[in-house]
Amino acid sequence: MSKAMSRQHDAQFIPVSFTLNGRSQEIEVEPHELLLDVVRDRLGLTGVKRSCDVEVCGACTLLVDGRPVSACTTLAFEVRGRSVLTIEGLAENGKLHPLQQAFIEHGGFQCGFCTPGMILAAKALLDEIPNPTEEQLKHFMHGNLCRCTGYKKIIESIMAAAKRMRSKA
Amino acid sequence: MLRRFRLEEPDSVAQVSELLGRFGDSAKVYAGGTELLLAMKEGLVRYERLINVKGLNGLSEVAVDNGTICIGALCTHRQLETSSMLQQKLPALVKLEQNVANVRVRQAGTIGGNLCFAEPHADPGTLLMALGAKMVAEKSSAKREIAAEEFFVDAYETSLEADEVLTEIRIPTPGANSRSAYLKFGYLERPSVGVALALTVNAGSISDTKIAVGCAGPAPRRVAEAEALFDGKGTQEAMRNLPAAGVIAGRAAEAISDLHGSQEYKEHIVGVLLKRAFQSLVS
Amino acid sequence: MQFQKEVEISAPREKVWQFIWDVDRFISCVPGCKDAKTIEEGKRYTATMVEKVGPFKVEFPTMIEVIEREELSRIKAQASGADNKIGSRMKVDLDVSLRTQDDKTILGFVAGVDILGKLAALGHGIIKRKADQVLDEFAQAVKQKLEGDS
Repeated sequence: MSKAMSRQHDAQFIPVSFTLNGRSQEIEVEPHELLLDVVRDRLGLTGVKRSCDVEVCGACTLLVDGRPVSACTTLAFEVRGRSVLTIEGLAENGKLHPLQQAFIEHGGFQCGFCTPGMILAAKALLDEIPNPTEEQLKHFMHGNLCRCTGYKKIIESIMAAAKRMRSKA
Repeated sequence: MLRRFRLEEPDSVAQVSELLGRFGDSAKVYAGGTELLLAMKEGLVRYERLINVKGLNGLSEVAVDNGTICIGALCTHRQLETSSMLQQKLPALVKLEQNVANVRVRQAGTIGGNLCFAEPHADPGTLLMALGAKMVAEKSSAKREIAAEEFFVDAYETSLEADEVLTEIRIPTPGANSRSAYLKFGYLERPSVGVALALTVNAGSISDTKIAVGCAGPAPRRVAEAEALFDGKGTQEAMRNLPAAGVIAGRAAEAISDLHGSQEYKEHIVGVLLKRAFQSLVS
Repeated sequence: MQFQKEVEISAPREKVWQFIWDVDRFISCVPGCKDAKTIEEGKRYTATMVEKVGPFKVEFPTMIEVIEREELSRIKAQASGADNKIGSRMKVDLDVSLRTQDDKTILGFVAGVDILGKLAALGHGIIKRKADQVLDEFAQAVKQKLEGDS
């Protein structure tokens, strides 16, 4: 009994205030907790995936302050004071984001496992470069892997979404 | 799942140094964590404490100080790849940084962390060596500059002392006729061979040659013996010396046979990259 | 991984042979090796191998077993150990030979080294280099200890 209690005293808790998909959150995490585990297990948002676990495949891509990070290799406390966007937060009031719509219309996914990460990375790309060349797109998306589609449809989907987003802007 | 550790968040380099001195091997500097956390996840290293240095001020700027380009150790690869000042003065470095890993690693990973982890299969160190870079190492009481050639000791080993912190990388602004290039080759996630070449061309004559090879061996190395085949030579003669220089540079790489390729293969690729780098700079 | 080393020692064969069985002194020549203990004289020994590559450190409690022994000329031994902290195992098959050349002794060894587990993730190349360094230093240390004594 006393062993468990002394462990509690030893444990270090870091308060993390952040915005998750537009809403304020206040949680406490231990330093060693990974963002991927906190988002999936504690916050119940399972769109983000653990896949390679070594920052290579992009299935764990989340946007922190609009920029893509590997949630599998990001310590959870690092999002304190920041805004986090997961795939679940992309649609607004039930209306799909142009990227989500484009992926559906252009067949940008098959099994869907890489898709949440793929779409979030694409969002970060288009937020930075609204009219990317194919070279720029490929370079930015280089770290998001897909085993199903062969990438052609993904590129088409992103380009289509970019066009739609530009015409709306 | 990572093992539990204690997070320290000092706000000065002196404090970081003091913590490193006090806790020794059981504490480690933590910035972007793109290498460190991977090693920890694998269970290859264990730390009781991680010292978060991202709170330190003034270490994430890119600036020019009296003709010297100063890059803060906490600059992320992403910062460097998007720096207009660097694009102007050191385009080869910008191109290198653009091609480090992927956009997520570049977002979190710092140039300082990259250099200090000294992973053999990495790019920046090799080019920085050919650019004549100096690493600024600080501890509680002192500050010193370490030439890039002396910074990389072995695989995963730098010449930083246990309580020293890398704070800045200083690169002399290249002269008007100075050019540099970095070429790499790899088909795995990390680069297999990297060659950096810097030289000055004045009226068809080459000077100030710096050649560095990396990724193939345990650490990046300058190849003075190959540099001598270009220095003071006209461009035509230098071009004729390329094959010989390639062989010398290949050997100097201390190439290790591993999953990235055999020793002979890597040595050969060094020669190829050196030739291409030269041709890109001296047309 | 296979390694082959030979070192020329200015000392008579008998002296070199004796030195090998002086476990404490012999083991102290292996860089990173400490706490040598004799479990069964001439047959079984234990020691701890500590090696470091940058921040990566391994500590292998090692069991050494002498398999064959030809007086004054050959020893076949096997060493094995596991580092449970890092999740790696090590196995070394060692073939030590002595021969006389003029008035010197040539000490040769052939080592088959296997590193299994997480450590292999570091890269075969790095480990091979390290093992090579360790064996080189070992050979030199044996030579120095024996030549220094006369």
